[in-house]
Amino acid sequence: MKMQFWGVRGYVPTPGAEYLRYGGNTCCTALYGADGDLVVIDSGTGFCQLGDMLMGREFGRGGGKMTLLISHTYWDHILGLPFPGLVHIPGNRLHIYGPDSTRGSLEMVYNGMLSPVYSPVYGLAHIGATHSFQPISTEPFMVGGMRVRALPLSRRNHSPIWAYRVEEANRAMVYITDVRYTNDQIWNQAVQFAAGAQVLVHSAPYTRQEQVEDYGHSRVEDAIELAQEANVERLEIFHHAPTRTDDQLDTLVSSYRRQLMDEESPLIFDAAREGLIVDV
Amino acid sequence: MIVRIWGTRGSYPVARAEMLRYGGNTTCVEVRVGDSCIILDAGTGLRQLGEALGREARPPRTINLLITHTHWDHIIGFPFFEPISQPQNRINIYGLQRTQSSLRKTIANALSDPLMPISLEDLRAEMTFHEIHEGLAFQLDTQVRVCTARANHPYRALAYRIEADGAALVFIPDTGPFHTVLFDDERIEWTGSPTPNTDEELRALAEMRAQIVDLARGADWLIYDSQFTDAQYTRFPHWGHSTAAQAREIAEEAGVGQLLMFHHDPHHTDAQIDAMLEELQTTCDSELIITAAYEGMELRKGERSS
Repeated sequence: MKMQFWGVRGYVPTPGAEYLRYGGNTCCTALYGADGDLVVIDSGTGFCQLGDMLMGREFGRGGGKMTLLISHTYWDHILGLPFPGLVHIPGNRLHIYGPDSTRGSLEMVYNGMLSPVYSPVYGLAHIGATHSFQPISTEPFMVGGMRVRALPLSRRNHSPIWAYRVEEANRAMVYITDVRYTNDQIWNQAVQFAAGAQVLVHSAPYTRQEQVEDYGHSRVEDAIELAQEANVERLEIFHHAPTRTDDQLDTLVSSYRRQLMDEESPLIFDAAREGLIVDV
Repeated sequence: MIVRIWGTRGSYPVARAEMLRYGGNTTCVEVRVGDSCIILDAGTGLRQLGEALGREARPPRTINLLITHTHWDHIIGFPFFEPISQPQNRINIYGLQRTQSSLRKTIANALSDPLMPISLEDLRAEMTFHEIHEGLAFQLDTQVRVCTARANHPYRALAYRIEADGAALVFIPDTGPFHTVLFDDERIEWTGSPTPNTDEELRALAEMRAQIVDLARGADWLIYDSQFTDAQYTRFPHWGHSTAAQAREIAEEAGVGQLLMFHHDPHHTDAQIDAMLEELQTTCDSELIITAAYEGMELRKGERSS
């Protein structure tokens, strides 16, 4: 199983020279199974770039198939969906899983996002690809040779936020975003869910030292502690803050790596970069 | 009048090396006249504009945000605009009046659960919504005159003219041409070949075009939808965007000083936009100055350089 980042920025896309190396597109991560199956987690603007790449494959001819897992429906995780050409080509199949909110089902949220006041698509009915929406549950399911597990780890107001674990051939990738570890129960659930994963992709836009007012996210230090406690091999922090430049991320990465080396921690620490391929 | 361009891209923001020069942020233009601060559209460029305003010695406390329409690329920067969270600020938001939903509700719904964790009531700035329509002329801060017209875009959009201090800027980021597809609130079904227009549609299109030309008449600068190449337009006439040549035709007829190609296609690289611009310039036989808007571009008239 290979993983590739297509969007690693949080909150809002950040085009600009100072963000180019890590990338300015919002959340989108792709997993390619050994048999060629495709699982995509979140559809921020990174989904547009992924979509352009996929047009060169079966998707360009209307024969593509993808499973899209949505963590939650905030802008930076869903807004990229309607733009790539592949979603408008009949024959392509999109299986979309994600949480219903107490304000409406996942399908209703996407349909609202595409309503004419916000989008020239005029609603889901006009998406040309075959698409299905399925409320996510904790029941594991298979996508080709990949096994997907999901966990409702936290919630914000009306929106539950789900974490995903994708496994193939005894290797696992875990994706946790937009969570604040406000009590031991959430922490323990996360440790259990991430246990023994080869790669943990975890949102961490700020460090503890920065003391930024943001109630929806844990800090870089939390992600590191979680990865260590769960015996994760490699941590990729993502959902980078829009103000975080490439140079700042470089500095941040080397400072935490040094710290981990001093502690003799075996954890591999990295900040996710657009385009980066990780062999899980 | 000072005009600064913070976002030029259409449809969705693009963060790519080969698009840096024209820029990947979606539509946002700042207009300053004396103490007045007017912002056209709230695309992703608005975030950096907010930061720049914060760095000013005396940041404007009243901000007039004029929105052409509420498609995502025109509002996505709004929650990341710092001045909305500062209690001393007054933000006037202007946009199209609709029977389907109030402007306030459209913005509020986009910002709130389950799409975002923000409630308009929690924002610290004083926020006032003004629902306007086409064919309007009104004053802002006594010294600025704003006129509106209707652009030919799915679900309708506004076009703005800002006049002050002997200068005029016209902003039409999203409009299709006026010879065939008439956009209104209903979706246009595109079957691959144009359906013949009724006489009534052709009259409505001609009228809309006349209003647009009138709005742009004699302006110093016309910022105009130039998303498409001719080949793209042929494939996507139902998207409500113009070609660069169609933009030039309006600019020439309205006798504007300078045309700024705008709402760049998210797939067009700097090199492609350069080529579109060059083609437009070399085939131009009028006095019109033709440029392509880029992020960081500044235009001035009648204000002392600081």
